[in-house]
Amino acid sequence: MTRHLPAILFLLPLSLAIGLPLIGIKHREWCRPLSIGVLGAMVPVSFANLVGVLQSGTIHYDFGGWAAPVGIEWVADGLSSVMTVALSLVGLVCITFLSSALFPYLGSRIVPFYTLVLLLIASLTGMVFAGDLFNLFVFLEVSALCAYALVGLGGGKALVAGFRYLILGTFGASLYLLGVGYLYAETGTLNMADLAQRVPPLVTSKALAVGVLFMFIGLGIKMALVPLHGWLPDAYTYAPDRVSPILASLVTKVALYGWIRIMFWVLGAQAVVYQIPILFLVGLLGALAALVGAFLALSQVEIKRMFAYGGLSHIGLILVGISLGNQTGFVGGVFYLLNDAVMQAGLFFWAGAIIHLYGVRTIEDLGRSQGGAGWMSVALVVIALSMIGIPPTGGFFGKWYIILGAVEAQNYLAIGAVLIATLLTLAYFVKVFERVFRDRSAQQSPLIREIPLAVQIGLGATSVAVIVLGLMSDHIVNFLLKNAVPPGL
Amino acid sequence: MFEMIGGWLQRPNYIAFVLLFLWGIYIMVTRYNLVKKLIGMYLMQTSVIFFLVTTSAKRGATVPILLSTTETVQPEVYANPLPHVLTLTAIVVGVATLGVSLALADAIYKKYGSLDEEEILKRLE
Repeated sequence: MTRHLPAILFLLPLSLAIGLPLIGIKHREWCRPLSIGVLGAMVPVSFANLVGVLQSGTIHYDFGGWAAPVGIEWVADGLSSVMTVALSLVGLVCITFLSSALFPYLGSRIVPFYTLVLLLIASLTGMVFAGDLFNLFVFLEVSALCAYALVGLGGGKALVAGFRYLILGTFGASLYLLGVGYLYAETGTLNMADLAQRVPPLVTSKALAVGVLFMFIGLGIKMALVPLHGWLPDAYTYAPDRVSPILASLVTKVALYGWIRIMFWVLGAQAVVYQIPILFLVGLLGALAALVGAFLALSQVEIKRMFAYGGLSHIGLILVGISLGNQTGFVGGVFYLLNDAVMQAGLFFWAGAIIHLYGVRTIEDLGRSQGGAGWMSVALVVIALSMIGIPPTGGFFGKWYIILGAVEAQNYLAIGAVLIATLLTLAYFVKVFERVFRDRSAQQSPLIREIPLAVQIGLGATSVAVIVLGLMSDHIVNFLLKNAVPPGL
Repeated sequence: MFEMIGGWLQRPNYIAFVLLFLWGIYIMVTRYNLVKKLIGMYLMQTSVIFFLVTTSAKRGATVPILLSTTETVQPEVYANPLPHVLTLTAIVVGVATLGVSLALADAIYKKYGSLDEEEILKRLE
C-alpha cells in the first residue's frame, strides 16, 4: 500500500478536478467542501508517504509496470516527500482562504476556479515526484496553463498580465523542452537516475552544455529568476486576490525545486561548463536576484506588487543557499524554500484581506486600515519578522543556515548578498509598518464587512507555521540533513 | 570555415529548425498584434517539435514493431520511437497552450476592443 501513496497523492486532486465540472453543473455549493475535503485528505496521505519513505527507503513508482529506464518513473525520496507535505499543507490553507466570504460571490465561475486550483495542485505534485525530464516538462506545462488561466480570471488588467505570463512562460517551456531534446540526443535517456550515470563522462560535450543552459533559462523564466522575471509582478498584482497566495507560494517554488532536482540529481553538484562550475553561476544569479528583487520591492507603491518583488528576492536567496556546494547551505536553502512558501502565502492572505476589508490597495493608504483588526497586525508582524529574518521565526533560521553554509564555503559574496537583502527587506517592511502603525493622520476607513473565519484561519495558520518552523528548525534541518541531501554533496 | 559551413549543409533539418525557432521569437518580439504574437509562439513550439523528430530520423529505418516474438531485435533497422512519442505529447501541450492563449486574447479583445498591444497598454492607463 505504501508503494502506491505517491500515485494516490496525485490522483486525489486530479480525480476531483476532472469530476468537479460535472458535479458543478447541478451542485455548485458542493465545490467548496469537496475541494477542502480532498486537500484535507492529501495532508495525512502525504505524511503517510513521508513515514513510508523514511521506514522503507526511496519509493520508485513505475507507471504501467514498466521498469525505470524504459518506463516513466516517479521517485519519492526524502526531499520530494517533504515537499509534498509542504505542498498539501499550504494548498489546504490556500484553498480554505480561496473560498472565504471575503471575496465577491463568484456565481457560476466558482466551478472553473476550483477545478483549476485542484489541477494546479495535482500537477505540482506530479512535478515534485517526477523522475523523468520529459514528465517534469508535462507537469510544468499543466501547472503553467492552470496558472495562466487563474491569473486571467481576474479580468481587466489581469487578462493582459496573464497573456504576457503565457507568452513568456511558453517561451520558457519551449527552451526547457529544447534542452531536454539536447540531453536526450546526447545521452539517449530521459530518466533522471539513468542520466546521472551517463552525464559525467560527457562533461566536455557542447550539446550537453547547451542543453543544460536551455533548461536552466527555461526553468529560470518559470521560477522568475531576476533578469527573467518580467511576467511575475503584473501577474501576481492583478491576479484575483483569492488566488495570488496559491500562485505566489507554490508555483515558482516548485519550478525552483525542479531545477534543484536536475542540478543535484542529474548533473551533480560538481558539474562544470567550460571550466566554470554551474553552481557558481547559479549562486551569482541568485545573489543578483536577492538584491535586485528586494531593491525593486522598496520602490513599489502597491501592496501586492511589493510582496511579489519580495518573493523574487527570496527565490534568489534560496538559489544562493543551494549553490554553496555544501550540505549546510543546501539544507538551509531547502528549509528557506519551505519557509518562503508559508510566508508568501501569509503575506498575500494579508494583502487580500486588507484590500477587501478596507479597500486599501497602496502602501500610502495603509494608514487608513490601521493594519486591520488587532490580530491581523499581529499576523503581519510575525510574517514580516520572518521575511526580514528575526528569531524565533523560520526565516531567520533559513538565512542562518545559508550564512553558515557560506562561511563553510568561504563565499563572502553570498554572505554579503544575504545580509544586504535582509537590510533591504527590513527597509521595505519598515515602510509598511510606518504606514500601518504610525500614520494616525489618515482617517480610518470603516471595516467593509465582518472578517470571515477563513481569513482568520489562513493568517493564523501561516503565522503559527512560521513560528513553529522557527522553533523546530533544529529538528527539521537535522532531518533534512539526514534524509534529503543529494548524493555527492 | 568552408568545412564548417559544408558540415552544416549536410544537416538541412537543423538549419531549418534554427531558422524557424528564431523566426518565431522574432515574430513574438516585434509584432504588436496579439494573435500574430501567438502565431510566432506556435511557430517556435513547432520548431522544437521538428527538432525532436529530426534527432530520431534514420535513413531506411522502419516502424519499431516486432512481427514475431522469435525474431531477434536489430535496433539499427528501426526508427527510435521515443522522440515521436515525446512529440505527440508536446503537440498536445502546444495545442492546449494555444487554446488558453486564444481564449485570453479573445477576452482581451472583448474588454479593450483591440488586439494591438500599444492600443491596449494605452487603455490600461
